[in-house]
Amino acid sequence: MWLYLLKRTVLAVAIVATAMTLVFLMIHAVPGDPAITLLGPRASAEMIAQIHRQLGLDKPLAVQLALFFGRVFHGDLGFDAFSQRPVRDIVFEQLPYTIELIFVSILWAVMIAVPLGCYSAIRRNSIVDQVTGIVTVAAIAIPSFVVAVYALLFFAVTLRWLPAIGAGGGFKDGLIYLILPAFAVGLGWVGYISRLVRASMLEVLGENHVRMARSFGISEWRIVARYALPLAILPTVTILGVGIAWLLSSAVFIEVVFARPGIGKLIVDAVNTRNYPIVMGVVLVTTFLIVAATTLSDLVNAFLDPRTREKL
Amino acid sequence: MKHTVDNVSRRSLLKTGAAIGGGIVAGGLPLSQVIWAAEGKVLRACSDGDITKLDPAFYNRQVEVDVMSCIYSKLIRYKPGSEWGWELDAAEHIEQVDPTHIRFRIKKGIKFTGGYGEMTAKDVKFSFERIFKQKSFLAPQWGSLDRVELEDDYTGVLVFKTPFVPVWLLSLTDATGHVLSEDAVMKATKDGGDFGLKPPAFSGPYVLADWKPSQYIVLTRNPEWSGPKPGFDEIRVVPVDDLKARERAYLAGDVDFTSISLDSLAGFKSNPPPNTKVEEWPSLWYYWIGMNMDHPKLKDVNVRKAIQWAINVPQILDAAFAGQVNVATGTIAPGLVGHRPKALVPPEGDLAKAKEFLEKAGVNNLSLSIDCTNDSTNTTIAQTVQAQLSQIGITIEVNARDNSTFWTLGSESQGERWKDLQLIVNGFIGLPDPNYNTNPFLQNQVGIWNWERFRSARYDELAAKANTVEDPDARGKLYQEMQDLMEDSGCYRFLTNGANPIMYRTTEMLASTRPDGAPLFYDFQPA
Repeated sequence: MWLYLLKRTVLAVAIVATAMTLVFLMIHAVPGDPAITLLGPRASAEMIAQIHRQLGLDKPLAVQLALFFGRVFHGDLGFDAFSQRPVRDIVFEQLPYTIELIFVSILWAVMIAVPLGCYSAIRRNSIVDQVTGIVTVAAIAIPSFVVAVYALLFFAVTLRWLPAIGAGGGFKDGLIYLILPAFAVGLGWVGYISRLVRASMLEVLGENHVRMARSFGISEWRIVARYALPLAILPTVTILGVGIAWLLSSAVFIEVVFARPGIGKLIVDAVNTRNYPIVMGVVLVTTFLIVAATTLSDLVNAFLDPRTREKL
Repeated sequence: MKHTVDNVSRRSLLKTGAAIGGGIVAGGLPLSQVIWAAEGKVLRACSDGDITKLDPAFYNRQVEVDVMSCIYSKLIRYKPGSEWGWELDAAEHIEQVDPTHIRFRIKKGIKFTGGYGEMTAKDVKFSFERIFKQKSFLAPQWGSLDRVELEDDYTGVLVFKTPFVPVWLLSLTDATGHVLSEDAVMKATKDGGDFGLKPPAFSGPYVLADWKPSQYIVLTRNPEWSGPKPGFDEIRVVPVDDLKARERAYLAGDVDFTSISLDSLAGFKSNPPPNTKVEEWPSLWYYWIGMNMDHPKLKDVNVRKAIQWAINVPQILDAAFAGQVNVATGTIAPGLVGHRPKALVPPEGDLAKAKEFLEKAGVNNLSLSIDCTNDSTNTTIAQTVQAQLSQIGITIEVNARDNSTFWTLGSESQGERWKDLQLIVNGFIGLPDPNYNTNPFLQNQVGIWNWERFRSARYDELAAKANTVEDPDARGKLYQEMQDLMEDSGCYRFLTNGANPIMYRTTEMLASTRPDGAPLFYDFQPA
């Protein structure tokens, strides 16, 4: 297990480093210049050159990359081209908004989807199961930004029950501001998780230990809660672990639609303005999150199923 | 539905925490409004982005100017209303002594917060000279300023190397005219350099009380402010980049003042939201179709003129701006010194004349490219030009680029791409003095911002002279001739100056803006 952990960690570091190098090369390959975006038509060539010097853009690409990794090694992500604030501060200011959005989205999706999946499995082929099937597949099919726009128009603009933009301040206020964005991100997951739970439950409910429990006259709900669900939920947990990349991409759209702070909106703005330090900082942190979640998920799997340790 | 909703109490909804289930009870305000409801009068407005600087010498965006105008004082400031002008702010008196000297006297008793004492002429000298000492990229806004001489604690003289007329509606009134505390800035920065987002002291009617990046900027009353009391106790500015999102925020009741998009304008005008006033202000932008005269296909002035005459401007404005904007006659917007009453080429153009120019050039089967940013307005402009030029047999390929890529296309420092540039859909923001709007087309800007590579010694000569002429009519004529030269080169087909519509809730406020619709928050009054 320890050897597996070591191998997996080395692999994770290699993935992050490769991803960073690729993103660094790609964003520099695309035409664009933060100095020109920053200064606009009032800028002279000297002023643009001055900003280039400040950002280190006057150095060869390889040197810039080496300097970037050198700084990262010391926990320094550089400075925002526009405000000159530390990138680390900016990213960690915005990251909690995205994490809370993802967390709440998943939380409500799981709370609805798991009972729904269990119910559909127990009442297989019933009207409720069929209707649930149609609705959940539809929920998977609708992109989160479409849900976001219509939810916003209905609940915020037409009914004026909920705020349309921002993230509020304080715990209770923050929750209110989360309702629509979390609904938009989580809706697809309701469909996805409920289908997954239903399928897993059907498999588990057909196994010997469940049939034996039934033969002992244990109630159906107790069988589900005690014997079937703990096994059926495992694939869902795994999917949630590796699904963080999908969630992050959903968050990008949602943060833009709701003008909500977060790293999704941050990176969209940064890419548009070729704000290289911010782009690199956000990519580093999100890549780390995704790789960490995947690694953690693999480690849990390896712990539960020793056969997977041989597969690295 | 609306009737039912109006009876819902969002406060109860908050208390029960049953929002997901629609825990709804009675009431008038949207949730966000209840959440933000502070004691006193709160002005809630949308801005077009977040702040990145609050240092007047290094600012980047208009929202920063809007905020700085509330937290710092200037000698003079823009006068609210529909005509460009200025009024006294921190100055008790200011006069042009001769073409290169302006004497000012500061009001006594204007305090800097943080115990930095009273504002004096020494602070004015520090603030204005600092822009040059710190090599700010905004230094051109102060033109030929040489130094500020002090006469006593409150009186000083701005000394220019050569006359610089734009000082009144550009240098003193725009952001770089804000006066900072020398002691506070030196303490905060050691060398008087960029202090970024942390103002070391305030001197305006408001102070920056809170800023949450991408969330809000909160300004509250400055307890040490000795001037006239502004209308609101608190100003809360919410940064929202997207215009449509701003409109939704207004409709949802999250804010009470916002700019609106031109394609929504007609709808809002005919069917405004309840208790809303929609106002249309002319913008200072100028949009044009540019032509790179150094490109082999566009070297012949007859080809360029053919394109000018084939372009029907009102058609473009209908397609791209929903017909809600004016036809530009040049780089200088209506209401400013130097605005041309009409262009040399009529807005509708003339296809027959365009064909004549092409024949004169002896060009057949011409194919060209047009570069634009990839937003819907500029792409629509490019596509309309594509359709119009096809009528005289010119084939156009549209290259829609993302913003950052686009803004480097004509720059020689970015490689060789400027050589391939042919037609360009371009647009710059202007300021109330024509100096600012005409500078990008000087010869020394070729390959920097002058992407058409337009070169005219006469233009440069007139530009230099125009900075020194005080009489607005005489000065205006110089700028009009400059725009004639631009158009006559065939490099430019001017489109529009744009528009800046706003809307606000009349039950909450009486808005106050500059003639271009930029909000002057300190002058807003509660309803």
